[in-house]
Amino acid sequence: MAMSYEPGYAGLGDRLHIRDLIPAPRLAAAVWRRNAQVFSKLWKGALLPTFLDPFFYLLALGFGLGTYIAHGINGVPYKEFVAPGLIASAAMWSSAFETTYNVYFRMNELRLYDNVLSTPVEPQDLVAGDIAWSSTRATVYGIVVLIVVAAVGLVSSPWAILIPPFVLLGGMCFSVIGYTFTSLIPKIDLYSYFFTLGITPMFLFSGIFFPFNQLPGWVEVVAWFTPLYHLVEITRGLATGPDAVQILIHTMWLAVVTALLFPIPVRALRARLVP
Amino acid sequence: MTASNEPAGRVGEKPAPGDRRIRARPASNGSAVLARKLAKSYGSRVAVDGIDFEVPAGICFGFLGPNGAGKTTTMKMIYGLARVGAGELRVLGMDARRERREIKARIGVVSQETNLDGDLTVRENLTQQASYFGIDAHDSRPRVDELLEFSLIADRGDDRVQALSGGMKRRLMVARSMVNDPELIVLDEPTTGLDPQARLAVWRSLERLKRRGVTLLLTTHYMEEASRLCDRLLIMDEGRIVTEGTPAALILQHAGREALELELGEDCDASELLDTLAGRAGGHELHDGALTIFAQDADELLRSIDHDRFPTDSAIVRRATLEDVFLRLTGRSLREGE
Repeated sequence: MAMSYEPGYAGLGDRLHIRDLIPAPRLAAAVWRRNAQVFSKLWKGALLPTFLDPFFYLLALGFGLGTYIAHGINGVPYKEFVAPGLIASAAMWSSAFETTYNVYFRMNELRLYDNVLSTPVEPQDLVAGDIAWSSTRATVYGIVVLIVVAAVGLVSSPWAILIPPFVLLGGMCFSVIGYTFTSLIPKIDLYSYFFTLGITPMFLFSGIFFPFNQLPGWVEVVAWFTPLYHLVEITRGLATGPDAVQILIHTMWLAVVTALLFPIPVRALRARLVP
Repeated sequence: MTASNEPAGRVGEKPAPGDRRIRARPASNGSAVLARKLAKSYGSRVAVDGIDFEVPAGICFGFLGPNGAGKTTTMKMIYGLARVGAGELRVLGMDARRERREIKARIGVVSQETNLDGDLTVRENLTQQASYFGIDAHDSRPRVDELLEFSLIADRGDDRVQALSGGMKRRLMVARSMVNDPELIVLDEPTTGLDPQARLAVWRSLERLKRRGVTLLLTTHYMEEASRLCDRLLIMDEGRIVTEGTPAALILQHAGREALELELGEDCDASELLDTLAGRAGGHELHDGALTIFAQDADELLRSIDHDRFPTDSAIVRRATLEDVFLRLTGRSLREGE
């Protein structure tokens, strides 16, 4: 059966001059502000349940399953092992939803971007503002989880106070990946691939629920290519006692991948909305 | 009354000198839009096929044409939502290919689709729009207040956009296009789908804008709208410009002063009738037994018809309109799609 493309689908689009890739901070901030304003109106209603997601995992796995894991993992009680990873995964889920369904809806259903792009805002400002918002939202979710797991005593290192800026960076990385997907897909149905083949396996196999040291080496190699693995390593490191060199390496990974991917949604969005 | 107890520069009123926000621009001698051999294709479909036109600053300029004629594509190239395919396009003296951001900073857009932000209130829509021009909420506040007054929705500022009627949404679209005090506003079918009262309210807004010296460029399907608002207009069909001029000149040129509408009887031979009128009729349109004949004096024409030989069910004499011009130049057949 032939695939029916969304109207306006345009693929990757032309190469862009570097000038068309550098966002104007003031205009990206305007895009951020709109999203933040709408979030501030909606969070108490529709978005409240999404805050609860990580706590169900913590209850079921950390406190439930964890009871049967007598010696913990590498000497760390199981619930304490799982908790920092849930900060990272909360950021991932938040970014994934924001840059897929929410961006798609604003772009293709509400047609808000047609208006935004007929002001001085250009695609690079729009993508940067949306990603900045998405990672802000991811950080909010991450901080909520951090506060709760710290309150129930699952954080053993004071370095945990540094977690939020790293969650922001991780959120940027997840967001640019989600945005890339949204800008390139010809139709909304393909999100099921993104979540079922991308986000869910990453959630399960990035070292949140079990460590890699008893598994074949290739498992960790595969995990190394996923952003969640790196953010989990950072949050767990900071929550249990960090190794500065390791954290620097993981941070570099997230920053480099974010920077390398950023031009793709800018190009694709321009091709799609400014044909 | 002194200037101090009058809010300086209400939009649409005579501006106070020196007030930048509401300055009325004298019609400058430059052109607001200049197109030379402008063309645009989407894949193999040619939307705009090498058109030349010039929109003088300070007037209301209309684009008429059936669906798919290329009007919207032309507008989108002007306001930066479609790239220029071929040829040259200058907007406010700037190159539409290279200076898109600069052009967009100085124009306003009312798109065909109502794309207000439904999650925000009326006021927030305007404040947010100003921020896309780099104007922060504090600085845009007076302007936003004026625009709410201007569009007659001042009492609805805190309502969500969804709560507005179609006409109010359209007026808000016009108000939103003005937040940056634009020199040129592009309106793509600004009143499509509105009831007569709402349409009239939008027209009044546009007339006030025109008086302030803002150049208006609009597309429309409504000939009455074009006649009322436009100082000059052009008619497009299949990507090309068919004709251009003032509404009055176009009517005289393509239709004539008056029109005689005849509903022909069953036995009436239209071509024979037209033969007898040859020389006095300026032109005609025949469609399903309805014959429209254009003439300088339609009454005189009607009296000269031999009604025994050419029986008619009805006869109406009226002034020729832009509608006549439009239908003569673009045909009566239905245009599907687009």
